[in-house]
Amino acid sequence: MKILSIDTSCDETTAAVTEDTKILSNIIWSQASAHAKFGGVMPSLAQRMHEERIAWVIERALATGHCSLATIDCIAVTIGPGLSIALGVGVNKAKELAIKYKKPLIAVNHLEGHVLSSLAGSEYLVSSIQYPAFGLAVSGGNTVLVKINKIGEYETLAATVDDALGEALDKAARMLGLGYPGGAILEKFARLGNPKAYTLPIPIVGQEERKIFTYSGLKTAMYRLVEKEKPLTREKIYDLAACFQDVAFSHLLRVLRYVLTNHYSLIANHLLVGGGVAANVELRKRLRKLGKEFKINVHFPSSNKLYGDNAAMIGVVAYFRAQRGEFIDPDKIDRDPRLSI
Amino acid sequence: MKIIRENEDTASEAVEVLKRGGLVIYPTETTYGIGADATNPKAVKKLNKYKKRPFGKPYSIAVADQKMAQGYVELNESVGNLYKQFLPGPVTVISNGKHKVAPGVESETGTLGIRIPDYKLVIDIVKGLGKPITATSANASYQKRPYKLDDIFENISPAQKELVDLAIDAGELPHNEPSTVIDTTMEGLAVLRQGEIKLENKNEVLSRSEDNTQNIAKELFQKYEKYLGKRPLIFALEGPMGVGKTQFTKGLGRAMGIKEEIVSPTFSLILEYPRLSHFDAWRLQNSSELETLGFVKMLEDRNMVIAIEWADRVINAIKKRRDQAVVVWVKINYGEKDNERLISWGNI
Repeated sequence: MKILSIDTSCDETTAAVTEDTKILSNIIWSQASAHAKFGGVMPSLAQRMHEERIAWVIERALATGHCSLATIDCIAVTIGPGLSIALGVGVNKAKELAIKYKKPLIAVNHLEGHVLSSLAGSEYLVSSIQYPAFGLAVSGGNTVLVKINKIGEYETLAATVDDALGEALDKAARMLGLGYPGGAILEKFARLGNPKAYTLPIPIVGQEERKIFTYSGLKTAMYRLVEKEKPLTREKIYDLAACFQDVAFSHLLRVLRYVLTNHYSLIANHLLVGGGVAANVELRKRLRKLGKEFKINVHFPSSNKLYGDNAAMIGVVAYFRAQRGEFIDPDKIDRDPRLSI
Repeated sequence: MKIIRENEDTASEAVEVLKRGGLVIYPTETTYGIGADATNPKAVKKLNKYKKRPFGKPYSIAVADQKMAQGYVELNESVGNLYKQFLPGPVTVISNGKHKVAPGVESETGTLGIRIPDYKLVIDIVKGLGKPITATSANASYQKRPYKLDDIFENISPAQKELVDLAIDAGELPHNEPSTVIDTTMEGLAVLRQGEIKLENKNEVLSRSEDNTQNIAKELFQKYEKYLGKRPLIFALEGPMGVGKTQFTKGLGRAMGIKEEIVSPTFSLILEYPRLSHFDAWRLQNSSELETLGFVKMLEDRNMVIAIEWADRVINAIKKRRDQAVVVWVKINYGEKDNERLISWGNI
């Protein structure tokens, strides 16, 4: 089944063509690419940019996937969570095309896309994973651990109560004067620093049974530490970056460890990881190590483009939805900026 | 196209080509770059053609030193510190541009990336030209990183090759990563405006924990709740990073009986709950953007509660609506001890 999918949940205008879980094309036009990123966001501009680019991105996705609107079987679109006015652009476009070309329409949850992103382009995984399994989405907008009872049926085990992990990393970078968003820069600099040079508190240490992710206290401690260490030298910046990242990840891993330890009854052998922060090498290393310890296979997306926002992962979710007959009337589709999994 | 080995006359030869609006491929401490006179519209057009960019993506520029950078971008103190720490070196620092370069070099919002390469030849060329040159990698868009000239020439068409006037061959470069891009266009914005709001009949309390902060919010909500139905309520929250603005909003939510978890809206800019709209203005570039997000429409609902984090950044949009809503300005600041916060509020 060939699906054209669209995702405009935030800064990326994306479209993809997938056939079942195979990726035929995955086009991403990033407003953040190179330095097109503006430090502050202008929602009106973001909306305009999505509007200006969406037709081109869809055209590219179809051309690269060697198909046309006539030959695809369905259209899928992200309805949330995300930035409301950005989501609207994709939803309207998908609706318009579905009506014009008389194609069935599928509404997709962006978070489910991240959770299942490791399945995109990996037929082997699709056929070999047994459920229930664990799913983890870590990005700028979300941090959530779920139990996947089966594809399409999720149970939240832990979620953030304040900042998402990616957002916390971005803010730490900002405190170090590295601009915003600076999570990727923080990772680069953290590699050059000593994570033990400073002490920052691991959030809710010893209370992991609360099963929450929280970064507000760590952020505060970092703010105070940075103020104390000013003026910052290059070495201090490296060490502070290393220290913050280390503690932010330790918290995530401690909560994961708690959940894994206390779900003996749940026989799960797989953890699917997705989202922009999952591209962080240090985090991947730690997740793999945890997987080994608990004899759980940890899976990451198969290509770089599948980590950040992209439409191929939406296509994969849509394929499973189509299998279950979950289509939506184009007149009834609407964005849902706070949609949860 | 002419290919020359790097020697003592290379810089002046490159300068001549650049002066005529030509394109020069040059080595740097990261990858091979391609340079055009960044102030010459014709040269930049030619570069666009070479790079085959689908839409106007901006270019960074290479300058000789911080002083030269100042001619092209706004620099404040914190950015100056960044320059001191990292430049010259493989870092691109983005600031607000002064619109002194050719169209298409700055981004759509007028920001501009500055490079000071740690590579003497490039500095000599820029000094010789007396103007910045574009600092973009010499590959066409989406092609592999060029560490030697063959990496470039094997991946471009004859027509593209034709556009290059001069290529400076320094052999195979060490495979260093491309430059790190640091966007500083938000630096200082919030700071500049701090203190603009002076609270009359100031009330101040001390919070010693996140729970305390939430309770203070709850009490404040109960104090102002009586206006709901006649006017919407705006809680304008001001205070530095990590001080507890989201915690405060959690307290509002609790007082309003909202069951859902209230989380930071930094990423989504706005999160809507039943009767409560939670904005974060930190990433907004100007006041009017609050209106784009539906602020004005929300005020029509006289039962609406609106919490705005980093309200000092959108103060004008809020002030403009003072008559339509009851605005409670809340300042949260760090206290002496680690867990202490000073919370003050007043109407504006």
